[in-house]
Amino acid sequence: MADGHRAAYVAFDRFPSTKGSAVHIRHMAAELFDRYGGGLLCVLGGGGLPSYQREGDVEIVRFDAVVPNWLDRAEAFSAWVADRLAAHRDTLEVCHVRDPWGALPALSLGRRLVYEANGLPSIELPYTWPLAAPSTLAKIADLERECLLKADAVVVPSQVIARTVTARGVAAERVHLVPNGADPVPADVPRPPDAPGRYLIYVGALQPWQGIDVLLRAFARLADLSDLSLVICSSVAPSRSRALRRLAERLGLTGRVHWQHTLPHAEVAAWLAHAELSVAPLTASPRNLDQGCSPIKVWESMAAGTAVVASDLPVIREVLGEHGRLVPPDRPAELARAVRVLLEYPDLCADLGRQAREHVENGYTWTHARTRLAAVYHGLDLR
Amino acid sequence: MTPCAVTTGFFTLGKCGQMAIAGCPSCGRALCADHVTEGGLCPECAAARNQVGHPAAAAAHRRRAYRHRSATEYSDYGWYTSFDAYDRAAFDPDAAGNQDFRDDGDDALVDS
Repeated sequence: MADGHRAAYVAFDRFPSTKGSAVHIRHMAAELFDRYGGGLLCVLGGGGLPSYQREGDVEIVRFDAVVPNWLDRAEAFSAWVADRLAAHRDTLEVCHVRDPWGALPALSLGRRLVYEANGLPSIELPYTWPLAAPSTLAKIADLERECLLKADAVVVPSQVIARTVTARGVAAERVHLVPNGADPVPADVPRPPDAPGRYLIYVGALQPWQGIDVLLRAFARLADLSDLSLVICSSVAPSRSRALRRLAERLGLTGRVHWQHTLPHAEVAAWLAHAELSVAPLTASPRNLDQGCSPIKVWESMAAGTAVVASDLPVIREVLGEHGRLVPPDRPAELARAVRVLLEYPDLCADLGRQAREHVENGYTWTHARTRLAAVYHGLDLR
Repeated sequence: MTPCAVTTGFFTLGKCGQMAIAGCPSCGRALCADHVTEGGLCPECAAARNQVGHPAAAAAHRRRAYRHRSATEYSDYGWYTSFDAYDRAAFDPDAAGNQDFRDDGDDALVDS
């Protein structure tokens, strides 16, 4: 069928990519398209991705226009999505979006809207665009609020984001919690050939709120453990790690920190499974405290059966519960001490890993997440 | 990044230097979004062909057309017209906090 999709998934995000958000899009969009017999996926392109693909009942269209100014690009994306959706005006029933730029064109069509609030641009944008004025961010926050209020259902991955969106006026009964998840890693997954002997691992992107600088400073305090390495599996290009590499150099960690960039998602599981510990040193910043998140790095570490040491933040408590070691955020000495203690007690480490894995298997795989999302769609269909 | 090679300035002249998105089909110089004229030429070549206009006319035209269209399509939420030049300037490529983010800046947003 060349046209006439019943569902559309819109994301102002490059897809596929090696980032956690792409894993999330993959599973959420798959559920939408399974339920509605295919659909239209509108995402960002570039990086050699084709601008058009057809995979069975699913059409993938990618926005690849070069628009240097970010705000202009976001608006141009909105216009482009409006044109793509207009072609399916007669048949479209549900639009699933992740940001205001996708929500606006979907709202104008008047179809049922599922807004998946993984993050709020008004909170995250200042990290990348520090010159954005408070008045500009207030306009963007207004835009978010407008879209959230008009959505038929708001899907959030954590209680912290649920509180944030209800504080912005969204009725609590329209907010649905669908935590991220991870699929259990097979126990016999082979060790990556270039893995160092014993290693700690960090997996994820390198934005300031991830706290990798705290991790590097903590690792510098473990210099006496000469057989221990730190592996940083960055989901972004090497150019983004320059500042952190310089910091590692200044801390005298050259040779002990192994950088892996944009590894395919399937390979990351093996790196996680063979690590001594996985570290999620998120900072106590507004992005993590006020906005919230559901870090896929923590879910995937748990699914790999690797013990997790993470910052003691409400968002991490939600995910990790009792099945990992929590340390005060932004405290390299505390983080180093927790790592050292856990390395001294490998049985405790193995227990934590096993418990975490069971916790994921019993309720937080992607299959569970998809079932929860299906219940949201079902509720919309009954209206 | 290829910088825009159009000469700008009134008293102190310099190259524009913004990220180029096109080349002038006549003289081949790199052009940013603000300096592509409606015919796709650089401002000098356009002037030589007597197509005189404001160099930013094409960009402004596109933006105006989009605002006009979106205002109708989105039942006039009024949001698009509310972002002015002051708001937009903070999102120019050179305004990014960490220049290392520039290679794929847009997907730095909203990570799960």
